[in-house]
Amino acid sequence: MSAAAPLRDPAARGRVTVLLLGLAVLWPLLVVAKFRPAALFDAQNLRTVGGFLAGFLPPETGGEFLGYLLRATLETLAIATAGIALAFALAVPLALLTTRALAVAEIGPGPGRRRSRLVFHALRALLTVLRGIPELVWALVFVRVFGLGPAAGVLALALTYGGMLAKVYAEILDAGDARPARAILAAGGGRLPALLYGLLPGAAQELTSYTVYRWECAVRASVVMGFVGAGGLGQLMDQAMKMLNGGEASTILLAFLALVLAADRLSGALRRRLGEAGTRGAAAGVGAAGGTFVLAVAAAVAASFAFLELGFGVLLTRESAALVGDFVAAFLPPDLTPAWLAKVGYGAVETLAISAVGTLLAVGGGFALALPAAGRYGAAAERTTRFALNALRSVPELVWATITALSVGLGPFAGVLALALHTAGVLGRLFAEALQNAPTQPRDALIEAGARPAVAFLYGTLPEVLPQLAAYTLYRWEMNIRMAAILGFVGAGGLGQLLYFELSLFNYAQASTVIAAMLLLSIAVDAASAGLRRRLAG
Amino acid sequence: MSFRLEQVSLTHANGFVALSGISLAVAAGERIAVVGPSGAGKTTLLRLLGAALRPSSGGIELLGAAPWALPARELRALRARIGVVHQAPPLPPRQRVVTAVLAGRLGQWPLWKSLASLVYPADIAGARAALARLDLGERLFDRCDRISGGQLQRVGIARVLYQRPELILADEPVSALDPALARQAVRVLGEDAAARGATLVASLHAVDLALAEFPRIVGVKDGRIAFDLPAAEVGEARLHALYAGEGEALPLLADEPRFAAQPVDAGPARRGACC
Amino acid sequence: MQNPLRRLALKGALVCALAAALNPAVAEQPVLRVSAIPDEAPTELQRKFAPLGKYLEQETGMKVSFVPVSDYAAVVESLATKKLDLAWLGGFTFVQAKIRTNGTALPIVQREEDAKFTSKFVTADPAIKSFADLKGKTFAFGSPSSTSGHLMPRFFLQQAGVSPDKDFHNVAFSGAHDATVAFVAAGKADAGVLNASVWDKLVEQKKVDAGKVRVFATTPPYFDYNWTVRGDLDPALVKKLTEAFLKLDAKNPAHAEIMQLQCASKFIPTRRENYDGIEQAAKSAGLLK
Repeated sequence: MSAAAPLRDPAARGRVTVLLLGLAVLWPLLVVAKFRPAALFDAQNLRTVGGFLAGFLPPETGGEFLGYLLRATLETLAIATAGIALAFALAVPLALLTTRALAVAEIGPGPGRRRSRLVFHALRALLTVLRGIPELVWALVFVRVFGLGPAAGVLALALTYGGMLAKVYAEILDAGDARPARAILAAGGGRLPALLYGLLPGAAQELTSYTVYRWECAVRASVVMGFVGAGGLGQLMDQAMKMLNGGEASTILLAFLALVLAADRLSGALRRRLGEAGTRGAAAGVGAAGGTFVLAVAAAVAASFAFLELGFGVLLTRESAALVGDFVAAFLPPDLTPAWLAKVGYGAVETLAISAVGTLLAVGGGFALALPAAGRYGAAAERTTRFALNALRSVPELVWATITALSVGLGPFAGVLALALHTAGVLGRLFAEALQNAPTQPRDALIEAGARPAVAFLYGTLPEVLPQLAAYTLYRWEMNIRMAAILGFVGAGGLGQLLYFELSLFNYAQASTVIAAMLLLSIAVDAASAGLRRRLAG
Repeated sequence: MSFRLEQVSLTHANGFVALSGISLAVAAGERIAVVGPSGAGKTTLLRLLGAALRPSSGGIELLGAAPWALPARELRALRARIGVVHQAPPLPPRQRVVTAVLAGRLGQWPLWKSLASLVYPADIAGARAALARLDLGERLFDRCDRISGGQLQRVGIARVLYQRPELILADEPVSALDPALARQAVRVLGEDAAARGATLVASLHAVDLALAEFPRIVGVKDGRIAFDLPAAEVGEARLHALYAGEGEALPLLADEPRFAAQPVDAGPARRGACC
Repeated sequence: MQNPLRRLALKGALVCALAAALNPAVAEQPVLRVSAIPDEAPTELQRKFAPLGKYLEQETGMKVSFVPVSDYAAVVESLATKKLDLAWLGGFTFVQAKIRTNGTALPIVQREEDAKFTSKFVTADPAIKSFADLKGKTFAFGSPSSTSGHLMPRFFLQQAGVSPDKDFHNVAFSGAHDATVAFVAAGKADAGVLNASVWDKLVEQKKVDAGKVRVFATTPPYFDYNWTVRGDLDPALVKKLTEAFLKLDAKNPAHAEIMQLQCASKFIPTRRENYDGIEQAAKSAGLLK
């Protein structure tokens, strides 16, 4: 007999440590997030929420209001389209300069190698900054520069999405075969020919598909930006919610859902068509369908810019350029006095707590809904829970926040619940998919050995899907830290509330500290999440 | 009586007749090998005996009960008394060996113990003893995806040893093992059954192993029982007739095709389809 | 795989061309650009402004356009960056505008009642009877930039020995006066504070359940709202605007609708010095550095 293993579980110490560490971290987060589930069941609060929700019926259908609604809906669409067009214009050169496959310096030593490396890393850092600051924060800042209306939303989208597109474009280009491009570069060709003849042929379809998908996301985002005054449906929704006008809120919500669904469908159909075009292979030149697509996109972009009457012209006059310069200068240097740093630090912890506790609650809720949604309890239960999941994730967090604030009062806990409700819908759907794709043999074998179905699930199915569920959760947490920073605008505390307050008082030096804290926090959470995911994959 | 089948037939939903007119009675403590060519219905027969499949017609009695007349709770209790060794061990790749072995008794443990064992293994000594009989004592705390296919198949056997069932059903239990280990593993199963007075039914591809280790041999072909004889009375002629469709040579342990057990890929977590 | 490639290139070119085409500076037109701090719902503000806008068009001979805004600070910033000519500001936003325009922003007129304005503290909680009962409660201000919904109530609370940041369980900013009442009525906040004139209007229009939400304290009077022009507006135009406002009379049937919507009996001249008190209060409340 070979050397036997010890009779003590060697992993136990590690597990206990992780558990204690988890509790040690979670406990203060719960305290900071003012976690008070009892408030949910307070009879007075339940009546208030019930009253508000009852006010949703009947939806407002007055002619004047519907007129506003139509205009706001078009505005939202136009903001998303114009924003993505500008983001695209920004992303193309940035991607071109940050794609490794197109870097001459990667081929080997040569003149200017060090300098081009430096430029490369500086640009990558710039992309991180562009992406790391939520579009809502950019919008809030731009509302000041451009004043009023949708220009702020368009530019905010252009920056954040420009950063995202550039990063993903570079990733897609780098994932392909770099040899054709390298060959062109080595033969003395420029970046552009290397891109056009070396990389694009293999990646164009994926690039276009991702851009269309981002447009769909931009439609949602432009609604959210309305909450800080960047126009569109969100602005209307913000007003209706603030005034607790249920009838208007429900009409706007319905319009929002219809818009998101339509964008979803359109984007899905476009991407399918692109996929088919890709498999059809080398159709030479721009076919009739391709030409129509380009013309339609061009027309949509032109119509959007015309509809919004964007006054970017002001940026071009010397006087206003100076004003913008002054405005930007007012943010520098950030206020780094210890007292203010302490306040921002607490705000950051509060934001972290909202995101972490909200995501954890969503994991519980999403999992509980995913079990029936994966078809474990029959077709009827599957349909019902799928509908519930869709409803949960269709309502934006900021709208949930209004409802949860009614039920538990303003403050971090309302933010936690709002985040949890929306995220439960998102995670529940992903979890259900993962459960459906998990192999059934281990679980069936345990049932055939007499185990209870629930226990068989825990021993047979869960170990297989757990890493995947955890990875989904971590990805979502990265998004939620940004959303938690934003929820402060509607009274959930944290960095968002600080930023809103300081911007209102024109304390730009203080505001820029808060923005920097948001950026650092989201970078830190991304890193922590990536690290945890690597450990899980091991 | 351990189990009894009377005129049992099983027709799949697609119309394929897997078994027809099977009658078989086995006393407690018997050790039986089921042999026959691929697709003969060996696996289906074992699944019927494990109360995992319901026959289309005919009577079936397992450990003194008619399984398909039982309420759910009692069917579960009956299943807990039957242990199955699968050809491809159905173990989650990321599960640890100790947990996979202990899972053999989930049907016998109360709920709290099943849950508690997820946090800290409830019976490390028991799991180690079962593994040690297959020379795997030192693999106790390894993950199932970090051991070889042959080791994984023996973990599946150890799970059934730990379960201590009254009826052991082994479906090609040693297909991934080299001849020496295969013989050892089959002996361990036989000794365990003999020591506890349990019944052992094993389907085997290698006829020499079946004839050497089992007193009673059941030959299955085309969903019917071709013969049911003591090992000494089978004879080469019957075996050649049984495997007529598979060529001249009889399948022997030495040239057994090795089944490579591969853990199921959990699949990469994709970035959620959400903004 | 050539066509998606060309598509991308084409799309990029089109975007650039469009951006260039749409960029020429907006041509000068004789338009008077007016806005107001959004202390009430923007749609409500637009409705209130419509007849006044027509009147100003008659009096000045210019086209008057009202720009709705949902952010107080954006109005101040727009005035400072000359994107607005005339704005209805609160006392505190005027002080902010004055600072951001290096003292050039000029208040011209205000309603008679703005010279002795007050704020009302409201609650739906029977246990709250005085400032002292507010400790440990959630409290709703209006916008952080609001004079009557934040600055002056905060100042008077501090004078009474209550520190909102330390003594309240949670401080929320509803964003607007009518929203504050909605928050309090719904129990979203235990108490709140809003401008007396909006409160009176809500009570008069029966938009608030007076049996449920009640006033438990009122601030001493202070200077509040005014109409401010940017400092470099043509003096002749400033004079015309000032006279137009001063001519308005609630008793004149032609002006009745305007005055009723503005909640004004008549307009009186005002000057920068009237707001020095507000500036002092903002400094002592820590809202102005």
